[in-house]
Amino acid sequence: MKKLFAILLAAVMLLSVAAVNAEDAHQLIYGSTTEISGDFAPDAWWTNNATDKMLRDFTTDYGTVVTDQGGALVINDTTCENIEGEMNEDGTKTYTVVLNEGLVFNNGEPITIKDFVWPTAFSCSAVSSEVGAKLTGYMTIVGGQEYYDGTASTISGLRMLDDKTIQVTVVADKVPYFFDLSYAGFTPFSMKYWLGEGVDIADDGEGVYFKGLTKDAIEEQLNFARFHAGEDRITAGPYNLVEFDQASKQATLVKNEYYQGNFEGQIPSIEKIIITKAEDATWADALKTGAFNFYDTITDGTQVNTAMDLIEDDENVDKLGYGYDFVQFDRPGYGKLMFHSDFGPTQFINVRHAIAHLLDRNEFANTFCNGWGGIVNGPYGTAMWMYQEGEEWLDENLDNYAYNPEKAVELLVEDGWVYDEKGNDYVEGIRYKKVTPEEAGTYAHNVTLEDGTILMPLIIEWASSEGNSVSDLLSVMLANGEQTAAAGVKINQNVMSFAELLNYMYRDATQGDKYGVPTYCMYNLASNFTPLYDQAYSFTLDPKLVADGYNSDFIFDEELDKLSMDMVYGVEAGDDDAYLEIWQNFIQRWNYLLPEVPLYSNIYVSVFPDWLEGYDQSSYWDFAQAILYADIVE
Amino acid sequence: MGKYILKRCGYIVVVFLILSFLMYALYNLIPSDPARQELEPMRQSLKADEYETLYRQTRQRMGLDDPLVVRYLRWMGLWKDTDGTFNGVVQGNFGYSNLYKRSVIEVIKAPMGNTIFINIFSTILSLGITIPLGIYCAVHKGKRFDSATQVITMLGYSIPVYIIALVFMFFFCVLWRIFPIMGTKTPGMTYANKWQEFVDMLYHIALPVIVMTFGSLGGMTRYVRSSMIEALSMDYIRTARAKGLKEKVVIYSHAWRNALLPVITSILGWFLSIFSGSVIIENTFSLNGMGKLYWQGLNNLDFELVLAIQMFYSIVSLVGSLLIDISYGLVDPRVRVDK
Repeated sequence: MKKLFAILLAAVMLLSVAAVNAEDAHQLIYGSTTEISGDFAPDAWWTNNATDKMLRDFTTDYGTVVTDQGGALVINDTTCENIEGEMNEDGTKTYTVVLNEGLVFNNGEPITIKDFVWPTAFSCSAVSSEVGAKLTGYMTIVGGQEYYDGTASTISGLRMLDDKTIQVTVVADKVPYFFDLSYAGFTPFSMKYWLGEGVDIADDGEGVYFKGLTKDAIEEQLNFARFHAGEDRITAGPYNLVEFDQASKQATLVKNEYYQGNFEGQIPSIEKIIITKAEDATWADALKTGAFNFYDTITDGTQVNTAMDLIEDDENVDKLGYGYDFVQFDRPGYGKLMFHSDFGPTQFINVRHAIAHLLDRNEFANTFCNGWGGIVNGPYGTAMWMYQEGEEWLDENLDNYAYNPEKAVELLVEDGWVYDEKGNDYVEGIRYKKVTPEEAGTYAHNVTLEDGTILMPLIIEWASSEGNSVSDLLSVMLANGEQTAAAGVKINQNVMSFAELLNYMYRDATQGDKYGVPTYCMYNLASNFTPLYDQAYSFTLDPKLVADGYNSDFIFDEELDKLSMDMVYGVEAGDDDAYLEIWQNFIQRWNYLLPEVPLYSNIYVSVFPDWLEGYDQSSYWDFAQAILYADIVE
Repeated sequence: MGKYILKRCGYIVVVFLILSFLMYALYNLIPSDPARQELEPMRQSLKADEYETLYRQTRQRMGLDDPLVVRYLRWMGLWKDTDGTFNGVVQGNFGYSNLYKRSVIEVIKAPMGNTIFINIFSTILSLGITIPLGIYCAVHKGKRFDSATQVITMLGYSIPVYIIALVFMFFFCVLWRIFPIMGTKTPGMTYANKWQEFVDMLYHIALPVIVMTFGSLGGMTRYVRSSMIEALSMDYIRTARAKGLKEKVVIYSHAWRNALLPVITSILGWFLSIFSGSVIIENTFSLNGMGKLYWQGLNNLDFELVLAIQMFYSIVSLVGSLLIDISYGLVDPRVRVDK
């Protein structure tokens, strides 16, 4: 046994000595919570994995329209000489984009106008669907639908006027649109690399069209381009994806020497970035030992506190040779309680208000986020420019539904929840309300008295997803809270998988008849907002769109629907004041109707090594964008 | 023997077909909509008409509107696919991973390589320790070393592997910093040659292998020990000793060969398990292996991926049981494997 033990120890020592450390003393190693899937296609053509997207962002730039640090759309001066938009008499809108000359890919080859135009033209081709790409450009560009259907041989609304001028005409029903500058967005991808040598695009004066584009002609090259990483991967971003090791799920990015800068002309200083996978159970130890030294967007309050402990751990600084720093920013979204506002007790606005008053949201947010979060009173994030411009207005005009069980009872009494199950005056237990047959609907708990009176009990059927700590806290603070029972409200928690919760939430009968029947009044989940705040159709009254999953709150309010549509389709691009005014009215209306109760909005934290200087991240300015401005100091 | 093997192979095909249909049907009973799941993350960036069109296209592409039997036959390659070709298991296509957006075979390659690499070392190390240890303990039954080994192996057997992993990780990675805490490759490392790559990987998997070995010591050691104790109590051992044979010959030639019979089932089982990854070990040490892939497939409702993995393990298990039955006949002449 002694011999065996000695051999084992010797083997361990040998391995420890043989193992070679990373080449550079200060190497940025990014621990990603999402695994790299390895699909590096242009934009989310096939997948929408967060880390794949980040790698895509690192290797892709020179878009003609990009978002800035605040998430606003801006023209990329590095790429464009000029972008002009003009309304046409038929209601369509034409953008003319004039490109700068001299841009090159990472192999030194010049970027041509065709490299800018082909992805948009491809989105108008039926071949894109044949290869499984999720593209809908043909629905936006004049002539796109005809080209897609095969009834036209060119895309009449997409033109290459000369070697540096692109013209795109947008269909009438998509303009005016507050974010319509996005229609003039063209990002270059090497056509040769993505589609192969045999495919070309041309414009003979009647619109752009493909030559030689078929599924068979491009599929092999397209799949190679999607999944390939290496020195020969042709891209045009600040970094080159030189390696992706499938076995270790590790990617290596190296600075693109040909890169001419982002929209502000900024080029990166850091030579190399490694992306590796972080695990929930061991991320703190991995940071502690330097297995990776950048941990992005910690969302959980407990984890944030662990990170703070690590940052203050001087002993570890001695062991590791460096310490950690952090940056914090607000989540562009919130966790929420969502109601179905068209059936059961939650169809009544007073019930929704009462539930909000029965939950101490400040305490909830503080407990759930461990001090790293707060609350909002509407569908917005505190990082949005609209919030920052109108914070005072929002404070003055929105109801914050403070914890107030007495107020909740008042609201319920005012709304007619004043009976017991026999129709007598309410004394204790669950409250009931006399409802019409229309209001009663299919709600399972209704009671019909001998005289035909229908009583609806104040029982809220709540669908909550399994293994969810928000649900656990809600159960304690709301569903099983003494104040809830005292108010005569009963909340039944129904735990299910998230997929099933979505089926009920969308009332998706295609997944089974039971899902098509309104069953649950309340759901808990979360929402995040993209920089382009567009709530159009989210509160639609159109039954067809509702059936397709829009207006999942099932709140049918003409004013809310109109405001949500006008906000983006009733305002000219650039008219920020008009947009802000409608946005505020929309938020106020939403806050009054309360289709959802915002529960918490986290403060996110990213941890990075103290030798990284100039790093500043925000809600709409992520790692791939912010790192260009950072530098490594020895 | 040949006839018996052929008959068993026939059974394997029938069992595979029944099992595959049951598994396919079970996964399709789970209330989820793969098309909606695929488009859900893009919902905010799509306009209503665009979402609707894409949703319709995605359902059509995935063939979700067809009856279950048609979808199963399509997956098996016995029914025309949505593009008009036969393209299923029979044709060598084991499905398409919705999570990774590529064929299941391509997705499985790298994790399978990692899992086999780790399991080979773990299995050899475990057997290399447990068999001699079990024999030694049986021969020295009741002695201090035997008692100590019983306690230690029982500990390894009783403590959940994730606890062992975290404790070992704390000591070996965080406190003493001997081994790396995660992964199979030093970040940013450029290898000069294959040997360097091999050593680096060995260095990274050393701790997971140690944890897996520690966790598996108890079972096999005790199994070998009890089997040997039983063999050593037989009359033929007494006869061998009475004949004046050396103790080593008695133990290894007479006792061990007979004790091997029940042990061989477990040993073969271990070798067959080199294909199966450990969900806990791989997730804890961030290893890209089969266990982790399976777990991710389940979490993301990537049913074709999960189904392919399960069907692979079903075949391994069916073939494994056939091999075990055959091996009985080879090891023990008293057993006739022909019925």
